[in-house]
Amino acid sequence: MFRKPKIQTQGVRIRKKVKISKILLYILVAALLVFTVLPMICMVCRAFMPMTELFIYPPRIFVRHPTLQNFVDLLSSLSSSTVPFTRYIFNSLWVTIVTVFLSVVVCSMGAYGMVKHKPVGAATIFTIVIAALSFSGHVTKIPNYMIVSGVGLIDSYAALIVPSIATAYNFFLVKQFCEQLPDSLLEAARIDGAKEFRIFWTIAMPLLKSAWSTLAVFSFVSSWNDSFSPLVYIQTDSMKTLPLALQTMAGGAGVVARSGTVGAATFLTTAPTIIVYTVMKGRVMDTMAYSGIKS
Amino acid sequence: MADKNAKKKTMTLAQRKSLEGLIFVSPWIIGALAFFVWPLFVSIRLSFSEMISIQGFQMKWVGLENYKYLIQTSTTYMPNFLAEITNTLINTPITLVFSLIIAILVNKDIKGRGFFRTVFFIPVLLGTGYVMQQLLGSGTNQVIDLPEGLLMTLGGDFAAIVTEFLNRITEILWKSGVQIILFLAGLQGISSSLYEASRVDGATEWENFWKITLPLVTPIILLNFIYTMIDSFTDSGNKIMSDISHCFTTGSFNQGAAMGWLYFAFTFLLCGLALLIMNRFTFNQGER
Repeated sequence: MFRKPKIQTQGVRIRKKVKISKILLYILVAALLVFTVLPMICMVCRAFMPMTELFIYPPRIFVRHPTLQNFVDLLSSLSSSTVPFTRYIFNSLWVTIVTVFLSVVVCSMGAYGMVKHKPVGAATIFTIVIAALSFSGHVTKIPNYMIVSGVGLIDSYAALIVPSIATAYNFFLVKQFCEQLPDSLLEAARIDGAKEFRIFWTIAMPLLKSAWSTLAVFSFVSSWNDSFSPLVYIQTDSMKTLPLALQTMAGGAGVVARSGTVGAATFLTTAPTIIVYTVMKGRVMDTMAYSGIKS
Repeated sequence: MADKNAKKKTMTLAQRKSLEGLIFVSPWIIGALAFFVWPLFVSIRLSFSEMISIQGFQMKWVGLENYKYLIQTSTTYMPNFLAEITNTLINTPITLVFSLIIAILVNKDIKGRGFFRTVFFIPVLLGTGYVMQQLLGSGTNQVIDLPEGLLMTLGGDFAAIVTEFLNRITEILWKSGVQIILFLAGLQGISSSLYEASRVDGATEWENFWKITLPLVTPIILLNFIYTMIDSFTDSGNKIMSDISHCFTTGSFNQGAAMGWLYFAFTFLLCGLALLIMNRFTFNQGER
């Protein structure tokens, strides 16, 4: 009779304590989230800001009167250049799609062949891969340039595509997953008379889907965002890709007058990455946690 | 006789398998040889030579001349070098602390966990190269501006410090996406029975963190430490990196190569040192 209310109050107190700590938790996460998201919101807003709002002091984060004028300016034609912005978009898309496709095929094939067939020198190859993982591309950029120019690929799409196909990171990623492929399955297909390539394409690849879709996302991101390769390999204006075009646009004369257009261009450059990622999200997160590295 | 036959057959099968493997790997090998292994050797040779003519890339061996120039004569290289190293050494621990905190937070049972995880990861996708600099508005225009009223009450100098601080937090958060994922994986690997046992013994959350979470997550801390350092050293906003790129425009390839090698030799040394020190503090579940 006397105990009952006492127990109840204790229960209430505990629940209350839990609630407060939970609220604190949400506040903390939300605060950290704000810091992370703010630059993105800023970018989106800047893309839609009319001229009059861009230069107000103190600067505004949120846009009051959104306008599409910046995009219109950007897409119609930039006053200083003869190349339409859509051309840069096409260049970027083409280079990225081809790079991603070839990288997925070449790296998956290599990793599969190395793990499941153990050719001579597999150990050496793996050492090379590990060594390559720890090097920044900047060390090899200069010789790469010599090779590309030696082959005569300068100022072509191939110069942007070929060097970034056989990447050590992508190879490593798929290799980790290939080791989990059951040998018995491949053996069964072999007994049924499937040819090696067919086994790879119709059995191994579907099973490695999460690995190579992660590879595809990272390959997409690095190829899409790469401003260094086009800077080095591309000379003609009409062959530039988006990041380089953006850099030229933001670095040239009359930057201030064009900051709205730059904002719009930044928005267009970043949007595809986020879209690709959200589509592939589940797989990427799993693979990331499993393999433990990124490019 | 039958035995011999069987042996011969397996040999050829193995050989065939190996050959097929080689065919599978060969596109990748060709690519890696052409654009990684060979360039690496050329780059070493470049750093010890002098370019005689750009046409056909003729080179003359000059020994340590390029390195000497960088260390003794160049006015920009050493200051940049030191600045980048201090910057990395300051940022790395802060990044680790922040990413561990975030990982613990989003590992808790809260609503919208998936959403939070996604948002914290998105910067990784944008976080390379020019776009990131554009987004973070490096130097000239800052991302976060204090409301004017607050600015007045705080006074100019203090407000500047606060803005600087807030901006640095944003920058660090933008660079900890991968670390958060790795910590999350580590946290999820800790068995919940450990926490249950300690709760039964009356331990608080705080004690749990120091006695269970932290020791068990030390291997991930080590991994993240190395990752963060390399990421920071090879960041494209890095001054040394832009110096190397600058060598392209001026055509001083040899100096560029020497810069790269000197810098990366030091990076490796630092990482090795970190590995050596951290290994002593890393807790291995198997050992005890």
